[in-house]
Amino acid sequence: MRKFKLALATLFLGHALLFSQNKQVLYDFTEIPQALLINPGMQTDYQWYAGIPALSGISFQAGSSGLTVHDIFADDGVDINEKIRQKAIFGMGITDELSGTYQIDLLNGGFRGKNRPADFYSFGIYHEGDAIGYWFKDLAILAYQGNADQLGREFDLGHLKTRGEILNVFHFGVNRQMSSNLSLGARAKIYSGIIDFNSTNNDGHFVTNAGQNNLLSNTIVADMQLRTSGIESFRQALSDDSADQAAEITRIITKRGFFGGDLGLGMDLGFSYNLNEQTVITASLLDLGFMYHSGDTRNFTLKGSATVEGVEIILPDALADPNADFWQELVDEIEALVPFEENNNGYISFRPTKLYSSIRYNFGKPMQSGVACDCNYKSSGQKGGAVQYANSVGGQLYAINRPRGPQTALTAFYLRRFGRAMALKTTYTIDKFSRTNIGLGLNAQAGPVNIYLIADNLLAYRNIADTHYASFQIGLNIISWGKK
Amino acid sequence: MKNISLNSIVLFMCLGVLSSCAEKQDFDQYDDISVTPTLEGSILYVETPERVINQIVGVSFFSQIFNFDAFSEDFIAERVLDGVVTYEVENTTSKELDITVEFLDASDNVLDTENFAIDPAPTAILRREITYGGASGRNIDIIRNTSSIRVSAENLGDNTSTSGLPDPKIVLRSSAKLRIRLK
Repeated sequence: MRKFKLALATLFLGHALLFSQNKQVLYDFTEIPQALLINPGMQTDYQWYAGIPALSGISFQAGSSGLTVHDIFADDGVDINEKIRQKAIFGMGITDELSGTYQIDLLNGGFRGKNRPADFYSFGIYHEGDAIGYWFKDLAILAYQGNADQLGREFDLGHLKTRGEILNVFHFGVNRQMSSNLSLGARAKIYSGIIDFNSTNNDGHFVTNAGQNNLLSNTIVADMQLRTSGIESFRQALSDDSADQAAEITRIITKRGFFGGDLGLGMDLGFSYNLNEQTVITASLLDLGFMYHSGDTRNFTLKGSATVEGVEIILPDALADPNADFWQELVDEIEALVPFEENNNGYISFRPTKLYSSIRYNFGKPMQSGVACDCNYKSSGQKGGAVQYANSVGGQLYAINRPRGPQTALTAFYLRRFGRAMALKTTYTIDKFSRTNIGLGLNAQAGPVNIYLIADNLLAYRNIADTHYASFQIGLNIISWGKK
Repeated sequence: MKNISLNSIVLFMCLGVLSSCAEKQDFDQYDDISVTPTLEGSILYVETPERVINQIVGVSFFSQIFNFDAFSEDFIAERVLDGVVTYEVENTTSKELDITVEFLDASDNVLDTENFAIDPAPTAILRREITYGGASGRNIDIIRNTSSIRVSAENLGDNTSTSGLPDPKIVLRSSAKLRIRLK
């Protein structure tokens, strides 16, 4: 129970804890097959690859835009309530956020077309969770210090903005070398939703003013909505003490995650283009898609407006009914003016669309990738190999569509190849969460076995409790550059 | 050579992760977190025109119990720490009046009484703040157990005179400011 409370407190107080979706180290890391998932138009030279099921791609990212565990729980002798007041309640803004994503490749593979060697096909299933909650500043202030002595201050109910989902994604992508300079890619996706919730279009306020008749008036103007899908199944499973809860939850996840829940469609697009022998530009647009939620939806609305000045008795009219219950009438009136309602309507949600782009300059000693061929930089992938340079340097831009508008990140990177056996990529990323994010990715190839390990914001490991961002990605594949 | 480089780098990364550290944190501070917002709002507004007072023969012209469950709601009753109830009485009638406000529990037992004696108009608005809880306030259990409010009014003047002020009436306004413990 104590741990539970601690977790809750950490979650609440560290509401700016962020899980970004940016995979800047993995992006365009062409030695790693999973990079195809973030640019289906990436230059590829594999003949085929097979991810080790459930181990081919695991990623988890966490960070903090406004608050760290250290900010609140540092053993510094400062009263924790003062730290909460200064750093959380009044220290964070409405753009600070808690968001998160994790992704696990359940199945991932790819192969080059037998009759179309310019085509590389990849497919798989991955499990993904994604959530974001912005700091609900006014609501937090209202809960923390109340409405007393704040006449005229409007507490903005629109500060509540959150969404999240857990789903399985079934995908199939085609990567085609259109010409010696251009690779295009597209990936079709079917989403099978397990859980979804969103409350992103809230509006209204709560305000206390001097009353017209009585001393004070409390006014609420609300247009709020919370939509959920799939959560009710889990709630029922967890509330049924007579059932095997673990088995029931597994059954629900399996059922809903494999086309028994919400369904949606989406696609990824991407390209790579050689500007010249050593310069490549790339871009990708991911998760252009939507989901339709129905069947297990449960939605809540609060809509209307009311002003209350307490129980009002004005004689002689108030005595017309000697049995009148003025308090209950007041409660009923408020509930009629600002009804809290529930429905099971289906709804559509859009996936958080992401954009990557990059420019890469290759230099250093050229070397052959894949099997030997008389190909050059313009013939990457067509004959199982291409010219690769020992070094690459460049920049990347990342953007994701979020409820409060796009978030962007800018990355500079350097990539060093040590033959086929190893490649290292280091990145420096600047975004709203960190100005000192240095990442490092290692790709190692031992025969056909490929393993990669990526860590982010390495400087934060000096004091992990004070980090605003940390992430890791790991994966294991079997890759072949030879003939199928 | 490649193996040496690979091993070195992997070792370096592992050491980097293993050597990561965190300054000392004290998670026991969670127990010290105190969240005690203060909420305020109006309670009761009673308005009686002078013509109504004149119509009622006898000293007592009004006595009524009003159900008021706001204080006894679990959210308030179980969490209230202290508070202040503010009254404001405005008399623009020509009569000396006596107003009594009583907090009653669910069995109509009187928990607290506040009396206001008001001179005929023109008089200043009478404002009074009653503190509950804390070292000097009245017992906070009064707030916790209040289920209804009885307002009684007596006319200590006559039943014929009329104030020269526009729209003469006796008005009782009230509000509460309560500090609640959420954590």
